Amino acid sequence: MSLLSWRKSTLPTFSRGGIHPDERKELTENLPIEDFIPTVVSLPVSQSLGAAAEPLVAKAAKVKRGDVIATVPGGGVSVHAPVSGIIKNVQTGPHASLVYDTVITIQAKPSDDEPEFPEQADWQALPVAQMLERIRDAGVVGLGGATFPTYRKLTLPKNAKVDTLVINGSECEPYLTCDYRLMLEESDKVVLGSWLIAKIIGVGSCVIGVEDNKQPAAEKMRETIAELGLEKMDPPVKMTVMVTETRYPQGSEKQLVQALTGRLVPKGGLPLSVGVVVQNVATAYACLEAIRNAKPVLERVLTVSGLGIKTPKNLRVPIGTSIEDIVAHCGGYSEDTVKILTGGPMMGRTIADLGVSVTKGTSGLLFLTEAETNLDAYQPCISCGECVDACPMGLEPNRVSQYMEAGRPLETEQFGVKECFECGCCSYSCPSKRPLVQFMQVAKAAYRRHERKSK
Amino acid sequence: MSESSRTLHLSSGPHIASGRSTAQIMWMVNLSLLPALLWAWAVFGWVVLAITASSILGCVAAEFLACKISKTTSTIPDGSAVCSGLLLAYTLPPGMPIWMPFVGGMLAMFFTKGMFGGLGYNIFNVALVGRAMMMATFPVEMTTRWVAPHLGLAKADTISAATALAQIKLGGEAALAKILAVVPDSGQVWLDFFLGMRAGSIGEVSVLMILLGAAFLLWKGIIKLYIPISVLAGVALLAPFSLSPTLYMLSGGIWLGAFFMATDYVTSPITPKGQIVFGLGIGLLTGIIRNWGGYPEGICYAIMLMNILTPALNEWFRPKRLTADGAPS
Repeated sequence: MSLLSWRKSTLPTFSRGGIHPDERKELTENLPIEDFIPTVVSLPVSQSLGAAAEPLVAKAAKVKRGDVIATVPGGGVSVHAPVSGIIKNVQTGPHASLVYDTVITIQAKPSDDEPEFPEQADWQALPVAQMLERIRDAGVVGLGGATFPTYRKLTLPKNAKVDTLVINGSECEPYLTCDYRLMLEESDKVVLGSWLIAKIIGVGSCVIGVEDNKQPAAEKMRETIAELGLEKMDPPVKMTVMVTETRYPQGSEKQLVQALTGRLVPKGGLPLSVGVVVQNVATAYACLEAIRNAKPVLERVLTVSGLGIKTPKNLRVPIGTSIEDIVAHCGGYSEDTVKILTGGPMMGRTIADLGVSVTKGTSGLLFLTEAETNLDAYQPCISCGECVDACPMGLEPNRVSQYMEAGRPLETEQFGVKECFECGCCSYSCPSKRPLVQFMQVAKAAYRRHERKSK
Repeated sequence: MSESSRTLHLSSGPHIASGRSTAQIMWMVNLSLLPALLWAWAVFGWVVLAITASSILGCVAAEFLACKISKTTSTIPDGSAVCSGLLLAYTLPPGMPIWMPFVGGMLAMFFTKGMFGGLGYNIFNVALVGRAMMMATFPVEMTTRWVAPHLGLAKADTISAATALAQIKLGGEAALAKILAVVPDSGQVWLDFFLGMRAGSIGEVSVLMILLGAAFLLWKGIIKLYIPISVLAGVALLAPFSLSPTLYMLSGGIWLGAFFMATDYVTSPITPKGQIVFGLGIGLLTGIIRNWGGYPEGICYAIMLMNILTPALNEWFRPKRLTADGAPS
């Protein structure tokens, strides 16, 4: 660390490691959310963590916006038709992270009686069990990217002692501005959604974490909280906005909980074990729509950015919109684009097929040019220790990488492989450009194989 | 679509990287070494540039050879061979025959780095192995070819007396008195030592120039203070046992060693605790060799001895995990 960086920010943050890459949010932060509805949507049935849904519709069937078109047998998160129209196809197609999946394609065709999802009567007074049902039926999942079914996260174990709800508005990935725009433009829905979640889990205290580089959003959220008067609602919730240091990975659950509450989630544990539940701002928004309007997750906001795309945008698109249509809508991408990603530049995935479509977990679509990304071949480890300094978990990526090169993946647990959540701070910091996260992933896969075999 | 014909890269994340590269680090270290070389050139004359060039050439030639033999892409552009060459030259007397550093650099580079697998795999600091090899091979040249400093590029003086540390080692109190008697004001002696108006190895004589380079590396975040400070602290702990603690702290190669040799990434530990123990070990060993050993200076062997311990220090002083072991909930 250089002498100058000893000037430490006084804002709350996590205790160890982290990085501050070029934010690149200026490409899209001032662009209001724009709606874009394509004529065809292709929905992979795998939209959340857990068992895959099975299609309920066949080719040529007519569907209306909001209809359930795939369910998980035995209960789980359903998939809904994001537009009204006719089922064009149900077949194997590309998926952003699974490579292939069953994909339901719908030719959009507005019907005469488009559902409007009006405000439901007495939504605020609904019993908690029914609220959870609505969240489940609406197919709400963690929209920050994790896609964990929200109703399951909010169904607390009997003995759980929870006192704080943390709403994650960190958006610590560079480039991404969709959560920022949502907080600015839909602050009332985010706040009310957070209040509902607080009610469901039965806590009177909610902290919204926003990074320092999103001050306008923090201000807006504060104003909205004051206007809505949450402390006088039933039940009253004390909601505060906390501005944290801009430091990646501030939005990681363990790091955010530590930054906002000072509590350390134990190894292998969930925030629940220190009395905290974490939800993303977009998820809070979706919860409100699910409970107030009985509206399923039919669309999401994502940031289309990178120096490679002609016109960067913050878009609200139906789930299932293909990358190809988004590219065309944004004016195409330039010759010097070398990587296309879904998600942010730190944890996002490269895609090889423009036919891939937006899923519930797609927070960004980035077109990176050679100037922005790194394509260099990697070099030997010079033991500089940058990766160890950068690791928010205190692991030893350097040692893991050396053991992997030596072909000894099953000896890497001692260096913390299993605690790695693949934030990428190590690879980012490595001057030898070593693919440290990839070494971690390969090591974890080796352990999984090994554990399967020894069973 | 025309887009389909373009090459898209697929890889695991992250997809952005800090601007820092290994080559950049090495060349910045090389840059930070220049003030000391400029000073040596100013007080010892053109010959130091020839010695330095010879040493660099030897190191680069060996690197070239090692890459050829192991059939790997040349690592010469990354600047690490040049760095070793510079550092080796800095440990040599300015009056030494010009061909010797070439031989020393070549042998050191080839055996210490090339044979161990190249960049990142050496156990010992390459430059210091070079110096140790040369001490064994050319003992006379390595210990007698000192040059008296003259500011202003005057023609290099004939071979001067030994370094201050060597004089005291042999002559004790009397020798110390002689050194201090050269100028009437003893404060001037210390200033001369700090600025670099003394006999000594090419890159070690000016503490000021070394600190200048080190400040640049600290500013750029390339080195941290854990190692240099603990080396100097270790040396200082044993200073009271020397005849003149001030002279002891200002002479020899401890400043060059502390900031530029002991901080070598590859051969030093990673965690702050490991680095502090490493540095203190170097400092104490240096003091022991200087005060009670057979050599007037000990920093070179002290660093090499601690280099051996680096893997163990990395094992003993591991980074602290964020979360302790506990039952998963």
